[in-house]
Amino acid sequence: MAAPGYPTWVTRWVSGQWRNKKRPPTLRPPRILALADQVANRREQLREATCITEMSVMMACWKQNDFNDTPCAEEIRMFYDCVAKAQKERENQNEDTLSSRGNLPSSKVNKLLKRFPQITHYV
Amino acid sequence: SRHSTALGYSPASLVPCRIMPVRWSRYNPSYLEPDVKKESYQKPLEELTEEEREQMELKAVRPIKAAPPTLSSSVFSDPMISKFTNMMMKSGNKVLARSLMSQTLEAIKRKQLEKYHRAPENEKETIECNPYVIFHQALKNCQPIVGLSNITKGGKTYQVPVPLTDNRKRFLAMKWLITECRENKHRRMMMPEKLSQELLLAFNNEGPIIKRKHVLHKMAEGNRAYAHFRWW
Repeated sequence: MAAPGYPTWVTRWVSGQWRNKKRPPTLRPPRILALADQVANRREQLREATCITEMSVMMACWKQNDFNDTPCAEEIRMFYDCVAKAQKERENQNEDTLSSRGNLPSSKVNKLLKRFPQITHYV
Repeated sequence: SRHSTALGYSPASLVPCRIMPVRWSRYNPSYLEPDVKKESYQKPLEELTEEEREQMELKAVRPIKAAPPTLSSSVFSDPMISKFTNMMMKSGNKVLARSLMSQTLEAIKRKQLEKYHRAPENEKETIECNPYVIFHQALKNCQPIVGLSNITKGGKTYQVPVPLTDNRKRFLAMKWLITECRENKHRRMMMPEKLSQELLLAFNNEGPIIKRKHVLHKMAEGNRAYAHFRWW
């Protein structure tokens, strides 16, 4: 059969072939009319870089103090704190919840869909 | 062959693998890490918090992994010094590396004591004589704060300033120290002498390793415009 799921006579009847009113075939389901168990792979939107402000503040302080670490201790501490916070957030966030932008990457969606597959036949 | 298996742990009943995993552990996940600190066992039961009590009870039930030979409960053992000794070791000659390390610490102590005895009374308190303190402070001064990583964007590779993890910082400091002492010394100078020299210079924020760190920082500062190419 050309179209899956539909016997050939259905396609020929709908196309008006037997009534002398040929029209372009309106029934052209290319695939099975059922939801697939996976989503197309989409390129995941890149996240932004973290701690850029702290890094730039620290580098400005370095430029002023000839790259000595002792006068810039406060800025360096703030930078380290920011980095630790970002690291912790990234570890906590990477579960089966929505990302910060409110969408789920295609890999996670596919994992969920595989757990509940579409039933396409009777047993 | 010594290639790693697909699973870190595979129960012997399912897969009789004759392949030894190279870097992954073959212990059952229920095995706990050994705790060698004497203080954790000398505390009376009442002083422990809830979590520590649970941890103690868990240790009574679960099996414990074998302690590696480098793990020691002695007061003289220091994990940083052990790591540094391992990095200095060549072709498994731990005896030589350890003796070099102890000679280095002795050399530092001798130099500082000489300085101490020569100094006038008011300056004597400022001189640090403990070689372990000097070693730790010198390594801390040598650690870089940001590193550069290669990120390819639009066909071109850029050097992007990136925050480093603690392990990476420690590793870089130790690596720089060792390479500096191996390459830039006189043919007949002994390693402990050169190492003690470099450690004392790094303790005072001078010397070639601190300079190398500053060069890295300058490159990172020069490339700070590319910092947005990072995605983590």
